[in-house]
Amino acid sequence: MTAVQATGLGKRYGRRWALSDCTLSIPSGRVVGLVGPNGAGKTTLLHLASGLIEPTSGQIDVLGDQPGSAPDALARVGFLAQESPVYARLTVAQHLQMGRWLNPAWDDGFAARRLDELDLDPRRRAGTLSGGQRAQLALTLAVAKRPELLLLDEPVASLDPLARRDFLSTLMEVVATREVSIVLSSHLIADLERVCDYLVVLVAGRVALVGDVEELLAAHCRLSGPRRDAADLPAGQIVIEASHVDRQSTLIVRTDGPVLDPAWSVTPLTLEDLVLAYLRRARDDGAERSSDALAVSR
Amino acid sequence: MIEFHLDPTSGVATYLQLVQQVHQALRLGLLEPGDRLPTAQQVVAALAINPNTVLKAYRDLEREGLVRARPGLGTFVIGTLPRTDPTAQARYRRSLATWLRSARSAGLDADEIEAIYRSAVRDCFSEGVA
Amino acid sequence: MTRFAWLQARSQTLIVAGLLAILAVLAAVTGVQLAHLYSSLVAPCRASGADCGFAMDRFISHDSFLQGSLQLLQRLAPAIIGAFWGAPLVARELETGTSRLVWTQTVTRRRWLLSKVAVVGLASAVAAGVLSLTVTWWFRSLDQISGTQFGDFDARGVVPIGYTLAAFAFGVLAGVLIRRTVPAMAASIAAFVFARIAVQQWVRPHLLPPRHLTSSLLKADGFGFISQGGGPLDLVVKGSGPPGSWVLSSQLVDHAGHATTTAQRMAFLHKYCPFLPTPTARPKDRVHIGPADDQNFRTCQQAASRAYHVALTYQPKARYWPFQWLEAGVFVLLAAAALAGCYWVVTRRLAS
Repeated sequence: MTAVQATGLGKRYGRRWALSDCTLSIPSGRVVGLVGPNGAGKTTLLHLASGLIEPTSGQIDVLGDQPGSAPDALARVGFLAQESPVYARLTVAQHLQMGRWLNPAWDDGFAARRLDELDLDPRRRAGTLSGGQRAQLALTLAVAKRPELLLLDEPVASLDPLARRDFLSTLMEVVATREVSIVLSSHLIADLERVCDYLVVLVAGRVALVGDVEELLAAHCRLSGPRRDAADLPAGQIVIEASHVDRQSTLIVRTDGPVLDPAWSVTPLTLEDLVLAYLRRARDDGAERSSDALAVSR
Repeated sequence: MIEFHLDPTSGVATYLQLVQQVHQALRLGLLEPGDRLPTAQQVVAALAINPNTVLKAYRDLEREGLVRARPGLGTFVIGTLPRTDPTAQARYRRSLATWLRSARSAGLDADEIEAIYRSAVRDCFSEGVA
Repeated sequence: MTRFAWLQARSQTLIVAGLLAILAVLAAVTGVQLAHLYSSLVAPCRASGADCGFAMDRFISHDSFLQGSLQLLQRLAPAIIGAFWGAPLVARELETGTSRLVWTQTVTRRRWLLSKVAVVGLASAVAAGVLSLTVTWWFRSLDQISGTQFGDFDARGVVPIGYTLAAFAFGVLAGVLIRRTVPAMAASIAAFVFARIAVQQWVRPHLLPPRHLTSSLLKADGFGFISQGGGPLDLVVKGSGPPGSWVLSSQLVDHAGHATTTAQRMAFLHKYCPFLPTPTARPKDRVHIGPADDQNFRTCQQAASRAYHVALTYQPKARYWPFQWLEAGVFVLLAAAALAGCYWVVTRRLAS
């Protein structure tokens, strides 16, 4: 079962393509990190998946269905928008009331328990909450709806480190206790490194890298050794990034087997190194393709 | 019960850090057979990590025969690891100190010594794996 | 969803309800005084058939500040509701991003919009109705003695409800299109003012085909002469229709029924009324016709009445309520059109 399946998906605003020719498949039951620089199309992809907007081209299926405006489709997907918008003039309790009224599958017990754990006064107006509390309230609303898929757009970007940690803890507790697939975006891989087990890297509206985090880490390594040409590598090793100084070469490669050449010293990559390598590659590719294509798609 | 912590700069995979911390606790006698490990939910709430990571660590420990999951009850310690002998530890520490002093008198500085140590450790343990 | 729409609109509705209640009490107290003044001062005088000019003046100028305030409030209220209830209805949600929160609950945009519009639209209509009822009631004795009910047509009866619904709908539409609250408020007021002026100027007089009446010059309300900047004198007449009617136009026609031209009238005066004083070149100088000229004036009027008639177009008094409903209907249609636009934008364009 796939959580999100996109085929040739594109979204244009005016003359600008926010997302173009995006084909990817996100399995369900995972915590998926959607990573990319600002303007890469993360928000657009999430909005398309939540049914907030409709694609200009291509197709997107969410949980095997077209995302959309029908109540059935809406009930199955939870969405937490960027900056966690809430009604400033309504109280915390009134937000839960809204959730109860507007969602048939509403889990009142969960919502009440969460408020308790968060130590939030239900009578407080949402406008007086801190960023972290607001995000927690919005998360509570999204989870108590009992969605099968929860989409979170930059949920921790505007939070301080402590609130960030608390938020991710809550989210992971939800993953531990409920059957829910999660897609969360961030422009910082460090935010997601500990929580996601599946990764989608978007650059300039296109998918640069996608896969299971462990498999990706296992399949990539950094080789350093005496200077040589990247083209000499055996088949099955693909250079993602190469840098050369006088006598030394450092390569980041994707490999389908162990590196046997004794001349190389092999070190594993962190997720951040891996993502950065692909981001740089995508940027350089883009610059080669057409320098203004990048400007347009941003 | 033990409490896990993570070192994000170590470069060691998160699940492996959890496994190592259970090993360590068994060696030091902090965990004994019959003790319950924290639930995935508890670990997740404390560390903000993916629950699958915890489950993977516990599966590894189960494969090693150190713990067993009892559905609905939790994961319990069933095995032991030999405790490190304190006198052996002291002996090797002394011999390492001797080696360090001789390396230093030969003109090696702290960085060089550490580089030698790291590569020696890697060589030594990769022999065992390969 | 209706419950949630009410939850969002509750405090603003209650505030307005409170203000209306205060106004109603104020109007009740002063309205009773006004009614008393009418029955003690004006009614006996009119019954006696004497000249009531003094009594009427006193009555009409009673509480003139309150009169002015109520008239103004009644005319401003629709624009205020359009700006403060209509414009923010969707715009604030789009501006603060809460639209993304509510659109991803298990409720369709269609239901969301319809519920919000229904709840706040109904509150607007009720508020406008209560205000109009209060104002119409308060003015009832003053309106009785005024020449025509059509004078304050737009501040009485059911038209304010139509205005308010239209202003509200314009506000919602402006908010949906502009997506920002404050500019949408300004745009909604501008659109409403334009619609009001347009309907008043070009639609209201033609809601039903006007009636025509030709009457003698001698029965006209006003008869006199005017000079533009010291030029030759022209003849002006102000015709009066049947009691309580709304006169749309009055002009002088000849026996054949053709409208007269300025040149014709000037020639007539020159020929038949040569004894009239010659205007001076100073434009602001008034030409006084003193008692000595009285005879001349009458002679001239007699002569003119033989040559010309007054042709009137007017709407009779009995059409006051049909006109109220028709104009209210026009604004309800405008509101419906604007809301259909909102529906289209919210369900189609905001998704693309």
